[in-house]
Amino acid sequence: MAFLDNSGDIILDAVLTDAGRKRLAKADGTFKIAKFALGDDEIDYGLYDKTNASGSAYYDLSLLQTPVLEAFTNNTSILKSRLISIPQDNLLYLPVTKLNNVASGVAELSSTSNNVDAGNLIYVTADQNTENTNTVSGLTNNTAVNPDVAPFKNTKYTVLYGLSTKDSLATIRIDQGLDTTAIPPSQALDSSLIENQYIIEIDNRLGSIVTPVGDKTTKAAISYIDDDNIASYYFSLANDNNVYVSTNDDQSTSGGTQVIAGPRGTTLKFLIGASLDLQQSTYLFELLGATQSYTNKAGTTSTYYYIDTIIRVTGAQTGASLDLPIRFLKYKSTP
Amino acid sequence: MASSFKTLLSSDVAQTRTLLNEAIPITGSIVSGTYSDNNIKTFSHNMFESVYDYPYASSSANHIFDLTLGYCSGSGLSGSSNTDHTKKIQVYNQMAQVLAGFDTDRKVRVFDEDGQLGGGAKLRNCLFINFSRLLVKDEIKKGSFTLQYFASGTFASPSGLTTIQDTNAQNEYRVNSPAGEYGILYNSSTPVGLIYYQAGVVVLSMATSSVSGVSGSTSQIFASGATLDSSGRTPDMIITGSNITAASDAFRHRLYNVSFNNTTELNSTIYFCRANTSDFNYSSNPTYLSGSKIVVKNATTDEPVSYITTVGLYSTDNELLAVAKLSEPIKKTPSTEFTLRVRLDY
Repeated sequence: MAFLDNSGDIILDAVLTDAGRKRLAKADGTFKIAKFALGDDEIDYGLYDKTNASGSAYYDLSLLQTPVLEAFTNNTSILKSRLISIPQDNLLYLPVTKLNNVASGVAELSSTSNNVDAGNLIYVTADQNTENTNTVSGLTNNTAVNPDVAPFKNTKYTVLYGLSTKDSLATIRIDQGLDTTAIPPSQALDSSLIENQYIIEIDNRLGSIVTPVGDKTTKAAISYIDDDNIASYYFSLANDNNVYVSTNDDQSTSGGTQVIAGPRGTTLKFLIGASLDLQQSTYLFELLGATQSYTNKAGTTSTYYYIDTIIRVTGAQTGASLDLPIRFLKYKSTP
Repeated sequence: MASSFKTLLSSDVAQTRTLLNEAIPITGSIVSGTYSDNNIKTFSHNMFESVYDYPYASSSANHIFDLTLGYCSGSGLSGSSNTDHTKKIQVYNQMAQVLAGFDTDRKVRVFDEDGQLGGGAKLRNCLFINFSRLLVKDEIKKGSFTLQYFASGTFASPSGLTTIQDTNAQNEYRVNSPAGEYGILYNSSTPVGLIYYQAGVVVLSMATSSVSGVSGSTSQIFASGATLDSSGRTPDMIITGSNITAASDAFRHRLYNVSFNNTTELNSTIYFCRANTSDFNYSSNPTYLSGSKIVVKNATTDEPVSYITTVGLYSTDNELLAVAKLSEPIKKTPSTEFTLRVRLDY
């Protein structure tokens, strides 16, 4: 008779992240571990072979053989995808977050078909020269990007004004829900799947999150800035009175204003402001970016500094996330 | 409600303390000649010399210990005409006030041979070995220290391999030092010095000289007739007539072996991360969905499944403070439960 396997407990050695070390060094009581999450960053669920002829034991053979990387100590580089606890076991669909690029007044990604650059970006201007939104003495149209031409105009605007945020021609909108035609949007999304809180992470050296309604100039409150200058903003359905997060009650079929084909949960809207460093200096552009020629408002071509970055939007409850590619632009010269 | 975090309750957190021991062997040849003394760093102040495990100009070199020598003003060998007399007293007093402390009259105590401060033999002429923190870590393990050297013979032909140890110190050590616990070093059963475990300092008796009314040490580490340097100096002559660096060299060239175990005190917090039946069965991994459909399920009746590779420990405001990785993915379904013990060492 064989012995029973009693190796039920798994012992793991943890390493502090850079953010953890920073908090520990501050010695102000902020180093307090209060919760945990499980991640599966390395797993490609596309390898799950549920039709394997050899039987169910072979469905996930490839997944279980996935080599696991050592821990990164950069807190923003690991646990990108977390496992989720949902009381029901019988779910066949899970909510996703998608950039709404069809509703009125929303920003969309530039298209690669514009053939101007890599495309698939949202542009944010960094100073008055690059925007020239109003008639300002001393400014000429050959410094400002032309929002009506590619890549700044696709089917909708792809450019946001990072200085004159109130004059932005579009707002970034993220929709959440079940993106499937198998369930009609008229059916309510299960309350356990509705995302009530979003986290936006943005490089604080480059920009900030700005309110999409009202004066459109008020910066949102930062929850915290980590050691890598990544600022985290929290927006909750319960707390912000439909400024950033609102319930999506539209039950129309997908098409004109909606990108979520099935039951809908909430929407998140925001603008992006350029940081003071980007507005007043070219240092970060020269350090982190490069230059590119674009059509200016005068109809000719000017050269602009740019920095490419990512803004990450994550649902605090469902864990669904979306990476938005952002390009900050600043006028450099006109040949 | 969906959630990707699980709160750790007070019953999910435990503290443990573990003592970790490493064996530290120091072969005498490294100390006395392998690198043609390029691993010995001397200083113009002549207060001590440093021994490295590799030529010290190299970035690969590690400092392993320092050697120095001193005597107290009450030593029979003390004399203003001695070479570096002031420095030798300064070294002795510095070591004594840190390791032996002060008496009620605020005078520096001299090292006591048997650790009973009230009386008995005193160590008045001492050689000090100050081990690097790199080797000692938190402390030297009691009862593990062994030092071998040649106690007699000439400089050219040293002989009399002698072993001194802190015999049975794990059961018999002293706690009346301001620098922590210490034990007595014996040559066979004869006390010849002291070892301070937390400080990582070995004190060896270089001479038995006494003064009126108080005896000196009962023994010394070298035979009185041994010639320790190329000039034929005996231990007493080394103490009085050589500077500290030369005296340290004389001892170093007779060193055969040193070994001890160090101790590192590991304080750990263990977080019991419990994944119960209904926890963590779904994933926010972008590959988990096709559109919104879960790719690992064909029908609603299929069990959801996810694969764990990482455990993250978070602050209340969701900042990732520590992370642990599994060696291979673990399958999680509603039919399984896990307790992942995540240990964070301090």
